[in-house]
Amino acid sequence: MKNLLISALMLLALQSCSSVKEYQKQRINDPDMKLTARPGERFEINYQVYREASAGANGGKTGGGCGCN
Amino acid sequence: MAVKQAVVVAAINMKKIFLIVAGFFGLLPVSAQEVEQDSTGVGYKKRVLESTEVDFLMSYYKQDGIHSAVSGGKGMEELTDITPTIVIAMPLNDDDVLTVDAGLSAYSSASSGNINPFDSNTPSPWQASSGASASDQLTALVVSYSHSSDDRNTIWNAHASGSTEYDYSSIGFGGGYTRLFNDKNSELSASANVYLDTWQPIYPKELQDYADNGNDLNGGIFNYFDVEGDGGTYNPTAFKFHDKKNRNSYSLSLSYSQVVNQNLQFSLFLDVLQQQGLLSTPYQRVYFADKANYYINEFQLADDIERLPDTRFKVPVGARFNYYINQWLVLRTYYRYYTDDWGVSAHTANIELPIKLNDKFTVFPMYRYYTQTAADYFAPYDAHSSTEKYYTSDYDLSKFDAHQYGAGIIYTDIFTKAHIWAMGIKSVELRYNHYNRSDGLDANIISFAIKFVRI
Repeated sequence: MKNLLISALMLLALQSCSSVKEYQKQRINDPDMKLTARPGERFEINYQVYREASAGANGGKTGGGCGCN
Repeated sequence: MAVKQAVVVAAINMKKIFLIVAGFFGLLPVSAQEVEQDSTGVGYKKRVLESTEVDFLMSYYKQDGIHSAVSGGKGMEELTDITPTIVIAMPLNDDDVLTVDAGLSAYSSASSGNINPFDSNTPSPWQASSGASASDQLTALVVSYSHSSDDRNTIWNAHASGSTEYDYSSIGFGGGYTRLFNDKNSELSASANVYLDTWQPIYPKELQDYADNGNDLNGGIFNYFDVEGDGGTYNPTAFKFHDKKNRNSYSLSLSYSQVVNQNLQFSLFLDVLQQQGLLSTPYQRVYFADKANYYINEFQLADDIERLPDTRFKVPVGARFNYYINQWLVLRTYYRYYTDDWGVSAHTANIELPIKLNDKFTVFPMYRYYTQTAADYFAPYDAHSSTEKYYTSDYDLSKFDAHQYGAGIIYTDIFTKAHIWAMGIKSVELRYNHYNRSDGLDANIISFAIKFVRI
């Protein structure tokens, strides 16, 4: 199942190389379409890093600071 | 025939892989130049950042639970935290941006107050201490610099950071490289970060006083309180001070983003993290099941502090998929799988549905599900054996599920009609989330962010 998912993602990535021109990116450039966390989300990510054993792979901080309270 | 088709498909895919890799290393001719020409034929560049932007951010966090790690997995976890933060992004010229991110995190914690619960005549893991460790303030500063190439297809960045709190300090530095290609429809990034942290360890008061007086009960709190227990004498022989005080973190991050079509784009993330040094928290108590229990009032005296390996290797893999459903509705999703060599594996799934009320206001309900397995070294209160090498009763390392749900609202005005002095308001975000963990920990988080642009 995991291999199938990875294969599907790779296939999607390879098939997606057809170009979307800049003038066609009105929807892609919508602020809600950003592939990053929202500014106000940084604090939630911070608390989650404190309260959970896992971290990373979200563009956030991956080290530094205690986080032990 | 089928074989021939397969060979052709494989060749096409190989070519696409080559284009992606070659594009990342800048080996392809650039098709989309950002250097444009005006009506007189004079070339000009669009600035990466038009003018200075200032973000003011603030959050208020409040949690409560019943598994305080400071009192060995039993006790109140009440904590409040307020985090005023300012982020200033300044264009240095057409290509370069300097960003300064400065913040405070001021907290009060009943749990960490119980590092020394003996400032009360009736010490208890269920009551907040008024001791010095009951509140602290983390101060953090990050300075980042980024440079974009003339064609805006290559971005270099570097950053340095520092943070300090009462018993902990951190310095960090790192850098990254981003390459856009395929008409800016594809983006590959690589970055590396190093954090060099230092503990100034503080220990549970009874262990500190026991060790300071030559492993004896003549001194410190033992002069003021009677120790009651199962017979014999309180004698935490497992306890010794930590030799190492450093905690170093090294990370490598890779990400790939792709515009699939006019409505869909996604990102894939991979981090590899290595931590070394003092990875346990020196003031978190542990109680052994095979040792007698001793108390001062209701507060059980520690058998030892948390002990954990001095290395940890973490691999999180994540993905974001964002889909523009229509002019009123967008779908934002995120998934992460995490594994490490302490035995923790975790899944995170996040969904957000921004609903555009008009051209300025968007509301977004959101939900996050999280689940993790326990670390190999975790056991609940009074369940560890004194013969184990590593042990912790910190429920952040236990097996649990968590649900987080909430909503937010964003005001956006790209024309910055509303302004305060020379600063136009570009966006305002307010969000609230409730966090519920299956071990009984509950939290509420309110965050606020406002972005100003110099006009």
